[in-house]
Amino acid sequence: MSRLNPDFSTKLKKYGAFDTSLCYNCGNCTAICSLSDKKNSFPRMMVRASVIGMEDKITSSLDPWMCYYCGECSTSCPRQANPGELMMSLRRWLSAKYDWTGLSGLLYRSLPISLLAFLLTAVAVIFYSFKLNFNVETIMHFGHQFEMFAIITVFAIIILPNVFRMWWSVIIKPKVKVPLKAYFKGAGDLFVHMFTQKRTLGCDDSQARWFMHMVLVFGYLALLFTTVVLDWLGTDNMFIIILGYVESIVIFAITFIFMAGRIKRNKELNKFSQPSDWFFVIWLFLMGFTAFIVRIFIDLNIIENNLWMYLFHLIILAQWAVLIVPFGKWTHFIYRSFAMYFDKITETIK
Amino acid sequence: MENQKSKIGVYICHCGGNISDYVDIEKVKNLIAREEGVHLVNNMMFTCSDSAQVDIVNDIKENNLDGMVVASCSPKLHLLTFRDVAKRAGLNQYNYIHANIREQCSWAHSDKTELATDKAVRIIRAAISKVRLSETLEQIEIPAINTAVVVGAGVSGMRSAIELADQGTNVYLIEKDHFVGGRVSQWGKLFPTEEPGENLVERLYHKVKERENITLFTGAEIKAVNGSVGNFELDVHITPRYINGMCDEAIQDQVLKACHAEVDDEFNFGLTKRKAIYKNYPNAYPETPVVDMDLCDKCGECLKICDGRITLDQKEENISIKAGAILLNTGFDPYEPKEGEYGYKQVDNVITLQQFKRLIESNGDKLVYNGKKIRDIAYIYCVGSRDAKGENKHCSRYCCTSAIHTAVDAKTKFKNIRNYHVTRGIRTYGKQETLFTDSSRQGDTYFQFFEGAMPTVENENGKALIKVKDALTQNEDIEFTADLVVLVTGMVARKDENLVNIFKVPVGSDKFYNEIHNKLRPVETVIEGLFIAGGCQSPKNIRATMASTLAASAKANSLIQSGMIALEPIVAKVNPELCEWCGACDDLCTYNAFEKVEYEGKTVAKVNEAMCKGCGACTPVCPTNAIDVVSLSDTEIETMIDSFVRDVEFATTTTEEKADSFAEVVDFEKQVRVLPELSQRILDSLETEPKAIPDIAKELGVAADDVLYHLMSLRKYGMIKDTDEINEDEYYLYELKK
Repeated sequence: MSRLNPDFSTKLKKYGAFDTSLCYNCGNCTAICSLSDKKNSFPRMMVRASVIGMEDKITSSLDPWMCYYCGECSTSCPRQANPGELMMSLRRWLSAKYDWTGLSGLLYRSLPISLLAFLLTAVAVIFYSFKLNFNVETIMHFGHQFEMFAIITVFAIIILPNVFRMWWSVIIKPKVKVPLKAYFKGAGDLFVHMFTQKRTLGCDDSQARWFMHMVLVFGYLALLFTTVVLDWLGTDNMFIIILGYVESIVIFAITFIFMAGRIKRNKELNKFSQPSDWFFVIWLFLMGFTAFIVRIFIDLNIIENNLWMYLFHLIILAQWAVLIVPFGKWTHFIYRSFAMYFDKITETIK
Repeated sequence: MENQKSKIGVYICHCGGNISDYVDIEKVKNLIAREEGVHLVNNMMFTCSDSAQVDIVNDIKENNLDGMVVASCSPKLHLLTFRDVAKRAGLNQYNYIHANIREQCSWAHSDKTELATDKAVRIIRAAISKVRLSETLEQIEIPAINTAVVVGAGVSGMRSAIELADQGTNVYLIEKDHFVGGRVSQWGKLFPTEEPGENLVERLYHKVKERENITLFTGAEIKAVNGSVGNFELDVHITPRYINGMCDEAIQDQVLKACHAEVDDEFNFGLTKRKAIYKNYPNAYPETPVVDMDLCDKCGECLKICDGRITLDQKEENISIKAGAILLNTGFDPYEPKEGEYGYKQVDNVITLQQFKRLIESNGDKLVYNGKKIRDIAYIYCVGSRDAKGENKHCSRYCCTSAIHTAVDAKTKFKNIRNYHVTRGIRTYGKQETLFTDSSRQGDTYFQFFEGAMPTVENENGKALIKVKDALTQNEDIEFTADLVVLVTGMVARKDENLVNIFKVPVGSDKFYNEIHNKLRPVETVIEGLFIAGGCQSPKNIRATMASTLAASAKANSLIQSGMIALEPIVAKVNPELCEWCGACDDLCTYNAFEKVEYEGKTVAKVNEAMCKGCGACTPVCPTNAIDVVSLSDTEIETMIDSFVRDVEFATTTTEEKADSFAEVVDFEKQVRVLPELSQRILDSLETEPKAIPDIAKELGVAADDVLYHLMSLRKYGMIKDTDEINEDEYYLYELKK
């Protein structure tokens, strides 16, 4: 017995959902979806659950993560209820729900608070640089250490507890019995999906989207590795330097295409960009681009006189690391992979 | 017998294979030709086709035929067609008899073609023997008064009264209530114009009053009906208003206030009280209020304010009116839920849609019921409709639209309400679908249940708790509370057994009045001159009601306006020599067609030809066998039976004859088909490649029609099939089925 909660869909609208009540349950969306199957039947059921306000059902469901948003459901919806964007909103809502700090939800719901958070982070970086007397070497050293420190802290304090909460809500709370063996057996899937997003290939739209996305993921992870472990901005090794250039070019080139798509709204999935989407793609672009320029400045030996450039890069980096990664759209990288993993290990049971 | 017809023409129809595929037409022809009185026998692909009709007319004229039999489909389809053919050929239409060898023979016995042929011969023989005895008859003409009685002055009754009056028929418009407008005046805003029902009533009322040939009676009830089509006589009982005209509005208000006797207001479905002096609603028509004498205790308060106008000693009266036709526009009742049905009358705040409509009308800015402010409203659909095992199996058609329209209307008027629709599937057909979109757009939530799992309504802390097994959410049980539960009740027939008894109008199992034919004669009843329209016939919205009432008024007008009515002469006739008046026929007759008359010093029965339907029910009960139905006399029936039971003597057929028609092709013992020659040639021709009909016809040098006939038969037997391709002239190509 579920209790109707009509306020839920109003709440969901703050995460980008459209008028869900327009849905008349024809099921065209589910019929046209090439990823929907008997076990994970979506998006209609999720639309319905949103209309009724069945929060428990949604929280325990992996369906929102099973959708890779080709947008076919929205284009074929006879009522313009936009199920594709609803699934996107549910992912945002779920990300906020998994987040124990509650900051995720706050940033998703409110653009002013998001802007304030970005501003405060920038001020903090400038303030700390001021304390370091705007010394290039110390600041760059700090920047490098900050990166390592941030990755470990964000993972330990935010991401891991949140993944734990996700596991709790989709497996423990609904009392899905998963044998321990299954957790090991499915582990391979976790990494396969994390690094290949191969499920996207099931979508009917262009395969180019999957390819670009995968190149971007690899480019991003590689650049992360190159700067954090190989110390790209501090090294003299020619191979590493060139590698870093290539990776940063890959990042800002692909994110540039993605940004252009969102501006042109050329595909269904680009049509309704929320602030969180813009932050994610713009900051990723800026990360690649500023890193690239900083390295050029280093190679041209003009970085000492142009500290502002590095500060700019550091601000972007800090905002990315403390806002977007733990509380923003970045988390979909983790949740999607774990969703595929949880789906795999519950496969035999359901 | 004398006067027997001796030059009869028999026309046997192939019905394009429907008959000839199973009945051996040639064989039938040969056998029929030997029958007594048969002058010629012809077979035709389609007797009902224009060219065939012309051929028959010419045949009759050239051969001077005195009788005609058409053996084809059911007379329900083409009796009138061939009566017309007879008329055009100068033959009396009652000297033509129809033999049904399709529905009653070829279709019913498609698995036994030889026996079907045998039966066809018998059926046609029976028809021939009836034609031989047939009399030349003329239709009965009776005088008719060009006046119509319209019962019920709702929008339907008023509309038909106006229409009849404009066509030159005098109208008596009879309304039981003291105010006109019926249900529509209770309805508030109407889709799609958003015009209030009151306005429609007002417009129609003024048009009624403008016409001198409409007489409106209010407070009038029909007590008895005598006579028959063209000459009905009705006894009408009239309750007066007890008020002669009215003082000005201010005094009128004072009078309404001064009256202290109160009763539940039926017009508002009991939501409010009304006084003994009342109007249904402020702008009700006629404008004069009325005194409810059953309620009035004659305290005299009103007389102190407005003496002279209020005359409590007015008398009830009975009048008698005459009319040629009667139109029943008596409308419907909203279904009254049983106590406890979805918590009705048990859980607070459960009301019907009709009450809710009045509630919206009577509330100001805020929606309040029983002193509580209403925010969440649940609508439960199909209450008293679509009840497969219960009394009301029908869908009332208007309720989905009305409920959604009301929900949209309520939301527009009272901004912060929320609507929840618990439905069995939404049926906002046609243009009304836009309402459903409006409702979704404004945020209404829909649930859907099936008949097996009905929702429940119970009380939860002063609110109504609705539980529904929601088909849209994988049959999960969902519950929610509402401040108001609106039962979307359908239409049921009015509880007016009185009228049913008076008019003897047939009612269906759903208690609504029945027409003669659901599709072909939708506003006529089996009682000649009695028409039905609007909600008394079946659930209808206003638009459909108007269509039916206009149809009924057109039918009524065309029936009586000439002053003469032509009736079928096939009626019962009493032989006064034999009749000894026992009254058995009179007791039995459904149509009250018998009357007592004096004949040579004794009392005998006589049939009123205008009322008799020729059903024949009276003939077997007559102890002296004095009654016969014209053209269905005992002699005729007996001769027909004799012709039917006489053995059919088939001549042995040769193989060549066998190949003549498709009916021959089955070798019963071996179950092997012997194909006609042309069929075989067509198959040979298709051996090489798929071909179109004109190409085959050209190749074989035969008519395209013949190819078509054989091709269709071949297809039916599964020997060829159509390809999806067409040739350059856009003819379909056919190929062999291997």
